[in-house]
Amino acid sequence: MDEARRAALNAWLSNAAGASVVISATSLLSGGAIQQNWALSVTRGGAAEEWVLRTDNAATLAVSLPRSAEYALLRAAFTEGVTVPEPLFCCEDASIIGAPFFVMRRVAGTATGFRLAKAAAARGGDDALVAALGAELARIHRIRPPHEDFGFLGVPPADAGADFVAAMRARLDAANTPRPSVEWGLSALARHLPPPVPPVLCHNDFRTGNLMVEAGQVTAILDWEFAAWGDPHADLGWFCAPCWRFGNLALEAGGLGSRAAFLRGYGGGADPSRLPFWELAASIRWAVIAADQGARHLSGVERSLELALTAHIIPELEMDILRQVEALDAGTA
Amino acid sequence: MLEQPDATDLLNTARDSLLQKLLPTLPAHLHYEARMIANAMAIAARAAGVDAAPLATRLRSFADDEAHFAARIRAGAYPPGSPAYVGAAKLLQEMVRLRCTVSAPRALKGEP
Repeated sequence: MDEARRAALNAWLSNAAGASVVISATSLLSGGAIQQNWALSVTRGGAAEEWVLRTDNAATLAVSLPRSAEYALLRAAFTEGVTVPEPLFCCEDASIIGAPFFVMRRVAGTATGFRLAKAAAARGGDDALVAALGAELARIHRIRPPHEDFGFLGVPPADAGADFVAAMRARLDAANTPRPSVEWGLSALARHLPPPVPPVLCHNDFRTGNLMVEAGQVTAILDWEFAAWGDPHADLGWFCAPCWRFGNLALEAGGLGSRAAFLRGYGGGADPSRLPFWELAASIRWAVIAADQGARHLSGVERSLELALTAHIIPELEMDILRQVEALDAGTA
Repeated sequence: MLEQPDATDLLNTARDSLLQKLLPTLPAHLHYEARMIANAMAIAARAAGVDAAPLATRLRSFADDEAHFAARIRAGAYPPGSPAYVGAAKLLQEMVRLRCTVSAPRALKGEP
Protein backbone atom coordinates (compact mmCIF):
# COMPACT_ATOMS: atom_id res chain seq x y z
CA MET A 1 0.00 0.00 0.00
CA ASP A 2 1.62 3.31 -1.05
CA GLU A 3 2.03 6.31 1.24
CA ALA A 4 -0.75 8.40 -0.34
CA ARG A 5 -3.33 5.64 0.05
CA ARG A 6 -2.18 4.87 3.56
CA ALA A 7 -2.59 8.53 4.54
CA ALA A 8 -6.06 8.69 2.97
CA LEU A 9 -7.02 5.47 4.72
CA ASN A 10 -5.70 6.77 8.02
CA ALA A 11 -7.85 9.90 7.75
CA TRP A 12 -10.95 7.95 6.70
CA LEU A 13 -10.58 5.44 9.56
CA SER A 14 -10.18 8.21 12.15
CA ASN A 15 -13.38 9.81 10.90
CA ALA A 16 -15.27 6.49 10.86
CA ALA A 17 -14.04 5.50 14.33
CA GLY A 18 -14.72 8.93 15.82
CA ALA A 19 -11.30 8.73 17.41
CA SER A 20 -7.71 9.18 16.33
CA VAL A 21 -6.62 6.07 14.40
CA VAL A 22 -2.93 5.72 13.57
CA ILE A 23 -1.82 2.91 11.26
CA SER A 24 1.55 1.64 12.45
CA ALA A 25 1.97 -1.26 9.99
CA THR A 26 0.30 -2.81 6.96
CA SER A 27 1.02 -6.13 5.28
CA LEU A 28 -0.70 -8.08 2.54
CA LEU A 29 -2.02 -11.43 3.80
CA SER A 30 -1.73 -14.55 1.65
CA GLY A 31 -4.68 -16.24 -0.03
CA GLY A 32 -7.67 -14.87 -1.87
CA ALA A 33 -7.73 -15.05 -5.67
CA ILE A 34 -10.63 -12.61 -5.76
CA GLN A 35 -10.06 -10.40 -2.73
CA GLN A 36 -7.09 -8.81 -1.06
CA ASN A 37 -6.76 -8.92 2.70
CA TRP A 38 -4.43 -6.49 4.48
CA ALA A 39 -3.35 -6.83 8.09
CA LEU A 40 -3.47 -3.43 9.79
CA SER A 41 -1.78 -2.72 13.10
CA VAL A 42 -3.34 0.44 14.50
CA THR A 43 -3.82 2.49 17.60
CA ARG A 44 -7.36 3.78 18.23
CA GLY A 45 -7.45 6.56 20.78
CA GLY A 46 -3.97 5.44 21.82
CA ALA A 47 -4.85 1.75 22.35
CA ALA A 48 -3.31 -0.90 20.08
CA GLU A 49 -5.65 -3.01 17.94
CA GLU A 50 -5.19 -5.55 15.13
CA TRP A 51 -7.51 -5.24 12.15
CA VAL A 52 -7.96 -6.75 8.69
CA LEU A 53 -8.92 -4.65 5.68
CA ARG A 54 -10.66 -6.57 2.90
CA THR A 55 -10.89 -5.16 -0.61
CA ASP A 56 -11.23 -6.28 -4.23
CA ASN A 57 -8.41 -7.63 -6.33
CA ALA A 58 -7.78 -6.30 -9.85
CA ALA A 59 -10.47 -8.53 -11.38
CA THR A 60 -13.50 -9.72 -9.46
CA LEU A 61 -15.90 -12.52 -10.31
CA ALA A 62 -19.31 -11.34 -11.44
CA VAL A 63 -20.94 -13.83 -9.06
CA SER A 64 -19.10 -12.44 -6.04
CA LEU A 65 -20.95 -9.96 -3.79
CA PRO A 66 -19.62 -6.41 -3.35
CA ARG A 67 -17.70 -5.62 -0.14
CA SER A 68 -20.60 -3.60 1.33
CA ALA A 69 -22.86 -6.65 1.01
CA GLU A 70 -20.26 -8.91 2.57
CA TYR A 71 -20.01 -6.43 5.44
CA ALA A 72 -23.80 -6.50 5.97
CA LEU A 73 -23.72 -10.30 6.04
CA LEU A 74 -20.88 -10.29 8.54
CA ARG A 75 -22.83 -7.92 10.80
CA ALA A 76 -25.93 -10.13 10.68
CA ALA A 77 -23.88 -13.25 11.38
CA PHE A 78 -22.08 -11.51 14.26
CA THR A 79 -25.45 -10.52 15.73
CA GLU A 80 -26.75 -14.10 15.38
CA GLY A 81 -23.79 -15.40 17.39
CA VAL A 82 -21.88 -16.95 14.51
CA THR A 83 -18.13 -16.95 15.18
CA VAL A 84 -16.95 -14.26 12.76
CA PRO A 85 -14.45 -11.42 13.07
CA GLU A 86 -16.21 -8.36 14.50
CA PRO A 87 -17.10 -6.07 11.57
CA LEU A 88 -15.95 -2.51 12.29
CA PHE A 89 -16.25 -0.12 9.32
CA CYS A 90 -17.30 -0.21 5.68
CA CYS A 91 -16.24 2.26 2.96
CA GLU A 92 -18.00 2.27 -0.40
CA ASP A 93 -15.93 5.23 -1.65
CA ALA A 94 -13.47 3.78 -4.18
CA SER A 95 -11.32 6.93 -4.10
CA ILE A 96 -9.77 6.23 -0.67
CA ILE A 97 -7.64 3.19 -1.54
CA GLY A 98 -8.75 2.53 -5.13
CA ALA A 99 -11.63 0.14 -4.37
CA PRO A 100 -14.40 -0.22 -1.75
CA PHE A 101 -13.32 -2.01 1.43
CA PHE A 102 -14.36 -3.00 4.91
CA VAL A 103 -12.46 -3.43 8.13
CA MET A 104 -12.90 -6.18 10.70
CA ARG A 105 -11.11 -7.20 13.84
CA ARG A 106 -8.25 -9.62 13.27
CA VAL A 107 -8.62 -13.02 14.91
CA ALA A 108 -5.96 -15.61 15.66
CA GLY A 109 -5.88 -18.97 13.93
CA THR A 110 -5.00 -21.00 10.87
CA ALA A 111 -7.26 -21.19 7.84
CA THR A 112 -4.89 -23.13 5.56
CA GLY A 113 -6.87 -26.20 4.52
CA PHE A 114 -4.09 -28.72 4.16
CA ARG A 115 -2.59 -27.80 7.54
CA LEU A 116 -5.90 -28.23 9.34
CA ALA A 117 -6.57 -31.49 7.49
CA LYS A 118 -3.09 -32.80 8.35
CA ALA A 119 -3.55 -31.95 12.02
CA ALA A 120 -6.99 -33.60 12.10
CA ALA A 121 -5.71 -36.73 10.32
CA ALA A 122 -2.86 -37.05 12.82
CA ARG A 123 -5.53 -37.38 15.53
CA GLY A 124 -7.62 -39.84 13.50
CA GLY A 125 -10.17 -37.08 12.93
CA ASP A 126 -11.37 -34.23 15.12
CA ASP A 127 -15.06 -34.85 15.79
CA ALA A 128 -15.27 -32.10 18.41
CA LEU A 129 -14.12 -29.56 15.82
CA VAL A 130 -16.55 -30.69 13.10
CA ALA A 131 -19.41 -30.78 15.63
CA ALA A 132 -18.59 -27.16 16.52
CA LEU A 133 -18.56 -26.32 12.80
CA GLY A 134 -21.95 -27.99 12.39
CA ALA A 135 -23.29 -25.79 15.19
CA GLU A 136 -21.83 -22.68 13.48
CA LEU A 137 -23.60 -23.60 10.25
CA ALA A 138 -26.89 -24.15 12.10
CA ARG A 139 -26.59 -20.61 13.53
CA ILE A 140 -26.00 -19.21 10.03
CA HIS A 141 -29.10 -21.05 8.80
CA ARG A 142 -31.23 -19.44 11.52
CA ILE A 143 -31.03 -16.26 9.41
CA ARG A 144 -34.06 -16.46 7.15
CA PRO A 145 -35.87 -14.25 4.67
CA PRO A 146 -37.19 -11.65 4.70
CA HIS A 147 -34.27 -9.62 6.07
CA GLU A 148 -34.29 -5.83 5.82
CA ASP A 149 -30.51 -5.50 5.28
CA PHE A 150 -30.27 -8.12 2.55
CA GLY A 151 -32.03 -6.53 -0.42
CA PHE A 152 -28.92 -7.34 -2.46
CA LEU A 153 -29.69 -11.07 -2.10
CA GLY A 154 -32.85 -10.70 -4.18
CA VAL A 155 -35.92 -12.92 -3.99
CA PRO A 156 -35.39 -16.30 -2.26
CA PRO A 157 -35.62 -19.25 -4.69
CA ALA A 158 -38.83 -21.29 -4.69
CA ASP A 159 -36.80 -24.38 -5.63
CA ALA A 160 -33.08 -24.03 -4.88
CA GLY A 161 -32.18 -27.36 -6.53
CA ALA A 162 -33.90 -26.59 -9.84
CA ASP A 163 -32.47 -23.06 -9.78
CA PHE A 164 -28.98 -24.48 -9.26
CA VAL A 165 -29.24 -26.76 -12.29
CA ALA A 166 -30.53 -23.89 -14.46
CA ALA A 167 -27.83 -21.49 -13.22
CA MET A 168 -24.98 -23.93 -13.85
CA ARG A 169 -26.26 -24.71 -17.35
CA ALA A 170 -26.42 -21.00 -18.09
CA ARG A 171 -22.84 -20.53 -16.90
CA LEU A 172 -21.61 -23.45 -19.02
CA ASP A 173 -23.39 -21.94 -22.03
CA ALA A 174 -21.87 -18.52 -21.37
CA ALA A 175 -18.38 -20.02 -21.05
CA ASN A 176 -18.82 -21.79 -24.40
CA THR A 177 -16.46 -24.66 -23.58
CA PRO A 178 -18.19 -28.05 -23.90
CA ARG A 179 -17.98 -30.08 -20.68
CA PRO A 180 -19.82 -33.39 -21.23
CA SER A 181 -18.98 -34.78 -17.78
CA VAL A 182 -20.34 -31.70 -16.01
CA GLU A 183 -23.48 -31.95 -18.18
CA TRP A 184 -23.72 -35.61 -17.15
CA GLY A 185 -23.74 -34.51 -13.52
CA LEU A 186 -26.32 -31.79 -14.13
CA SER A 187 -28.63 -34.24 -15.90
CA ALA A 188 -28.39 -36.56 -12.87
CA LEU A 189 -29.26 -33.65 -10.58
CA ALA A 190 -32.29 -32.84 -12.77
CA ARG A 191 -33.44 -36.47 -12.42
CA HIS A 192 -33.03 -36.50 -8.65
CA LEU A 193 -34.31 -33.07 -7.62
CA PRO A 194 -35.30 -33.12 -3.94
CA PRO A 195 -38.58 -31.40 -2.98
CA PRO A 196 -37.98 -27.74 -2.04
CA VAL A 197 -37.53 -26.71 1.61
CA PRO A 198 -37.98 -23.20 3.08
CA PRO A 199 -34.96 -21.06 2.14
CA VAL A 200 -32.31 -19.95 4.65
CA LEU A 201 -29.15 -17.87 4.43
CA CYS A 202 -26.51 -20.13 2.85
CA HIS A 203 -22.87 -19.15 3.29
CA ASN A 204 -22.10 -20.94 0.00
CA ASP A 205 -18.37 -21.33 0.65
CA PHE A 206 -18.45 -23.01 4.08
CA ARG A 207 -15.48 -25.36 3.80
CA THR A 208 -12.08 -26.20 5.17
CA GLY A 209 -9.87 -23.33 3.99
CA ASN A 210 -12.44 -20.67 4.84
CA LEU A 211 -12.52 -21.47 8.56
CA MET A 212 -10.07 -20.19 11.12
CA VAL A 213 -9.08 -22.60 13.87
CA GLU A 214 -6.81 -21.99 16.85
CA ALA A 215 -5.92 -24.77 19.30
CA GLY A 216 -8.79 -26.94 18.07
CA GLN A 217 -11.38 -24.17 18.47
CA VAL A 218 -13.24 -22.35 15.67
CA THR A 219 -12.16 -18.70 15.74
CA ALA A 220 -13.81 -17.41 12.55
CA ILE A 221 -16.05 -18.31 9.61
CA LEU A 222 -14.60 -16.33 6.70
CA ASP A 223 -15.34 -15.38 3.08
CA TRP A 224 -19.02 -14.48 2.87
CA GLU A 225 -18.87 -13.20 -0.70
CA PHE A 226 -20.99 -16.00 -2.21
CA ALA A 227 -23.78 -16.00 0.42
CA ALA A 228 -27.35 -16.31 -0.89
CA TRP A 229 -30.80 -17.58 0.07
CA GLY A 230 -31.01 -21.31 -0.58
CA ASP A 231 -31.41 -24.87 0.65
CA PRO A 232 -29.42 -25.39 3.89
CA HIS A 233 -28.28 -28.78 2.57
CA ALA A 234 -26.28 -26.95 -0.10
CA ASP A 235 -23.88 -25.78 2.66
CA LEU A 236 -23.84 -29.21 4.32
CA GLY A 237 -23.07 -30.87 0.98
CA TRP A 238 -20.38 -28.32 0.07
CA PHE A 239 -18.59 -28.94 3.37
CA CYS A 240 -18.73 -32.75 2.96
CA ALA A 241 -17.96 -32.96 -0.79
CA PRO A 242 -14.89 -35.07 -1.70
CA CYS A 243 -13.17 -32.06 -3.29
CA TRP A 244 -12.94 -30.25 0.06
CA ARG A 245 -11.44 -33.08 2.11
CA PHE A 246 -7.82 -32.14 1.32
CA GLY A 247 -6.85 -35.75 0.69
CA ASN A 248 -8.49 -37.13 3.85
CA LEU A 249 -11.26 -38.88 1.93
CA ALA A 250 -12.32 -41.01 4.92
CA LEU A 251 -12.89 -37.88 7.05
CA GLU A 252 -16.06 -36.98 5.19
CA ALA A 253 -16.73 -33.71 7.02
CA GLY A 254 -14.27 -31.35 5.38
CA GLY A 255 -11.35 -33.77 5.73
CA LEU A 256 -11.45 -32.94 9.44
CA GLY A 257 -13.87 -35.37 11.10
CA SER A 258 -16.81 -37.69 10.68
CA ARG A 259 -19.98 -36.78 8.87
CA ALA A 260 -22.01 -38.12 11.82
CA ALA A 261 -20.32 -35.71 14.26
CA PHE A 262 -20.77 -32.78 11.88
CA LEU A 263 -24.51 -33.51 11.46
CA ARG A 264 -24.87 -34.09 15.22
CA GLY A 265 -23.39 -30.64 15.81
CA TYR A 266 -25.75 -29.18 13.23
CA GLY A 267 -28.72 -30.64 15.12
CA GLY A 268 -32.25 -31.22 13.85
CA GLY A 269 -33.24 -29.82 10.51
CA ALA A 270 -30.73 -31.72 8.39
CA ASP A 271 -32.05 -34.48 6.15
CA PRO A 272 -29.10 -36.77 5.28
CA SER A 273 -31.01 -38.19 2.29
CA ARG A 274 -30.64 -34.78 0.57
CA LEU A 275 -26.84 -34.75 0.89
CA PRO A 276 -25.92 -36.92 -2.15
CA PHE A 277 -27.74 -34.43 -4.39
CA TRP A 278 -25.96 -31.45 -2.84
CA GLU A 279 -22.54 -33.15 -2.71
CA LEU A 280 -22.78 -33.81 -6.45
CA ALA A 281 -23.91 -30.20 -6.84
CA ALA A 282 -20.77 -29.17 -4.93
CA SER A 283 -18.43 -31.01 -7.31
CA ILE A 284 -20.24 -29.44 -10.27
CA ARG A 285 -20.20 -25.95 -8.78
CA TRP A 286 -16.48 -26.08 -8.00
CA ALA A 287 -15.81 -27.35 -11.54
CA VAL A 288 -17.79 -24.46 -13.02
CA ILE A 289 -16.03 -21.91 -10.77
CA ALA A 290 -12.64 -23.41 -11.67
CA ALA A 291 -13.56 -23.20 -15.35
CA ASP A 292 -14.48 -19.53 -14.93
CA GLN A 293 -11.17 -18.85 -13.16
CA GLY A 294 -9.26 -20.60 -15.95
CA ALA A 295 -11.21 -18.53 -18.47
CA ARG A 296 -10.12 -15.31 -16.74
CA HIS A 297 -6.54 -16.33 -17.48
CA LEU A 298 -7.24 -17.55 -21.02
CA SER A 299 -9.23 -14.44 -21.95
CA GLY A 300 -6.44 -12.15 -20.80
CA VAL A 301 -8.64 -10.41 -18.20
CA GLU A 302 -6.12 -11.50 -15.58
CA ARG A 303 -3.12 -13.53 -16.73
CA SER A 304 -2.14 -15.62 -13.71
CA LEU A 305 -0.39 -18.92 -13.14
CA GLU A 306 -2.65 -19.62 -10.15
CA LEU A 307 -5.80 -19.16 -12.27
CA ALA A 308 -4.30 -21.23 -15.10
CA LEU A 309 -3.60 -24.11 -12.72
CA THR A 310 -7.07 -23.87 -11.19
CA ALA A 311 -8.49 -25.01 -14.55
CA HIS A 312 -6.46 -28.21 -14.20
CA ILE A 313 -8.42 -29.12 -11.06
CA ILE A 314 -11.46 -29.76 -13.28
CA PRO A 315 -10.61 -33.30 -14.51
CA GLU A 316 -10.32 -34.56 -10.93
CA LEU A 317 -13.69 -32.97 -10.14
CA GLU A 318 -15.12 -34.67 -13.21
CA MET A 319 -13.90 -37.99 -11.81
CA ASP A 320 -15.81 -37.23 -8.60
CA ILE A 321 -18.88 -36.25 -10.64
CA LEU A 322 -18.93 -39.53 -12.58
CA ARG A 323 -18.65 -41.57 -9.36
CA GLN A 324 -21.33 -39.50 -7.66
CA VAL A 325 -23.73 -39.84 -10.60
CA GLU A 326 -23.22 -43.59 -10.66
CA ALA A 327 -24.06 -43.83 -6.94
CA LEU A 328 -27.03 -41.46 -7.21
CA ASP A 329 -28.55 -43.34 -10.17
CA ALA A 330 -27.89 -46.72 -8.52
CA GLY A 331 -29.49 -45.52 -5.28
CA THR A 332 -26.30 -46.31 -3.33
CA ALA A 333 -25.23 -42.72 -2.60
CA MET B 1 12.96 -34.28 -37.60
CA LEU B 2 13.23 -32.55 -34.22
CA GLU B 3 16.26 -32.65 -31.94
CA GLN B 4 16.25 -34.70 -28.76
CA PRO B 5 15.67 -34.45 -25.81
CA ASP B 6 11.99 -33.84 -26.53
CA ALA B 7 9.55 -31.50 -24.79
CA THR B 8 8.67 -33.99 -22.04
CA ASP B 9 12.30 -34.67 -21.19
CA LEU B 10 13.24 -30.97 -21.20
CA LEU B 11 10.32 -30.00 -18.99
CA ASN B 12 11.03 -32.78 -16.51
CA THR B 13 14.74 -31.98 -16.40
CA ALA B 14 14.08 -28.27 -15.93
CA ARG B 15 11.51 -29.05 -13.24
CA ASP B 16 14.01 -31.17 -11.29
CA SER B 17 16.49 -28.31 -11.47
CA LEU B 18 13.88 -25.84 -10.21
CA LEU B 19 12.84 -28.02 -7.26
CA GLN B 20 16.26 -29.33 -6.27
CA LYS B 21 18.58 -26.40 -6.96
CA LEU B 22 16.55 -23.19 -7.07
CA LEU B 23 13.75 -23.78 -4.56
CA PRO B 24 16.03 -24.31 -1.52
CA THR B 25 17.70 -20.96 -2.20
CA LEU B 26 14.49 -18.97 -2.62
CA PRO B 27 12.97 -16.91 0.23
CA ALA B 28 9.91 -18.53 1.81
CA HIS B 29 7.42 -16.10 0.26
CA LEU B 30 8.39 -17.34 -3.24
CA HIS B 31 8.09 -21.07 -2.48
CA TYR B 32 4.40 -21.21 -3.42
CA GLU B 33 5.09 -19.52 -6.77
CA ALA B 34 8.00 -21.89 -7.44
CA ARG B 35 5.87 -24.92 -6.63
CA MET B 36 3.13 -23.64 -8.96
CA ILE B 37 5.73 -23.31 -11.74
CA ALA B 38 6.89 -26.88 -11.06
CA ASN B 39 3.29 -28.08 -11.16
CA ALA B 40 2.64 -26.30 -14.47
CA MET B 41 5.78 -27.88 -15.95
CA ALA B 42 4.69 -31.34 -14.81
CA ILE B 43 1.25 -30.90 -16.42
CA ALA B 44 2.81 -29.64 -19.65
CA ALA B 45 5.27 -32.57 -19.70
CA ARG B 46 2.45 -35.09 -19.28
CA ALA B 47 0.32 -33.34 -21.91
CA ALA B 48 3.16 -33.63 -24.42
CA GLY B 49 3.11 -37.40 -23.98
CA VAL B 50 -0.61 -37.99 -24.45
CA ASP B 51 -2.46 -38.98 -27.62
CA ALA B 52 -6.13 -37.97 -27.52
CA ALA B 53 -6.82 -39.05 -31.12
CA PRO B 54 -8.17 -42.58 -30.36
CA LEU B 55 -10.73 -41.19 -27.91
CA ALA B 56 -11.71 -38.43 -30.33
CA THR B 57 -12.43 -41.17 -32.88
CA ARG B 58 -14.56 -43.07 -30.34
CA LEU B 59 -16.42 -39.87 -29.49
CA ARG B 60 -17.51 -39.55 -33.12
CA SER B 61 -19.57 -42.74 -32.79
CA PHE B 62 -21.65 -40.84 -30.19
CA ALA B 63 -21.73 -37.28 -31.54
CA ASP B 64 -20.13 -34.88 -34.00
CA ASP B 65 -17.85 -33.40 -31.34
CA GLU B 66 -17.67 -32.64 -27.60
CA ALA B 67 -20.18 -29.78 -27.85
CA HIS B 68 -22.68 -32.04 -29.62
CA PHE B 69 -22.10 -34.81 -27.05
CA ALA B 70 -22.69 -32.32 -24.21
CA ALA B 71 -25.89 -31.09 -25.88
CA ARG B 72 -27.15 -34.66 -26.33
CA ILE B 73 -26.52 -35.41 -22.65
CA ARG B 74 -28.50 -32.31 -21.65
CA ALA B 75 -31.31 -33.28 -24.05
CA GLY B 76 -31.70 -36.61 -22.24
CA ALA B 77 -30.37 -38.89 -24.98
CA TYR B 78 -28.89 -41.31 -22.43
CA PRO B 79 -31.61 -42.34 -19.94
CA PRO B 80 -30.48 -44.49 -16.97
CA GLY B 81 -31.13 -48.18 -17.47
CA SER B 82 -30.61 -48.00 -21.24
CA PRO B 83 -27.64 -49.37 -23.23
CA ALA B 84 -27.05 -45.78 -24.39
CA TYR B 85 -26.52 -44.72 -20.75
CA VAL B 86 -23.97 -47.49 -20.18
CA GLY B 87 -22.08 -46.61 -23.36
CA ALA B 88 -22.03 -42.88 -22.66
CA ALA B 89 -20.92 -43.45 -19.06
CA LYS B 90 -18.05 -45.62 -20.25
CA LEU B 91 -16.90 -43.08 -22.84
CA LEU B 92 -17.07 -40.26 -20.28
CA GLN B 93 -14.99 -42.30 -17.88
CA GLU B 94 -12.31 -42.86 -20.50
CA MET B 95 -12.32 -39.16 -21.44
CA VAL B 96 -12.00 -38.10 -17.79
CA ARG B 97 -9.25 -40.65 -17.14
CA LEU B 98 -7.28 -39.27 -20.06
CA ARG B 99 -7.79 -35.72 -18.77
CA CYS B 100 -6.67 -36.82 -15.28
CA THR B 101 -3.59 -38.52 -16.75
CA VAL B 102 -2.46 -35.02 -17.71
CA SER B 103 -3.97 -32.76 -15.04
CA ALA B 104 -4.30 -34.89 -11.90
CA PRO B 105 -2.72 -38.36 -12.04
CA ARG B 106 -3.24 -38.77 -8.29
CA ALA B 107 -7.00 -38.98 -9.02
CA LEU B 108 -6.33 -42.24 -10.87
CA LYS B 109 -4.90 -43.96 -7.80
CA GLY B 110 -7.06 -46.96 -6.99
CA GLU B 111 -8.57 -46.96 -10.49
CA PRO B 112 -8.45 -50.30 -12.35
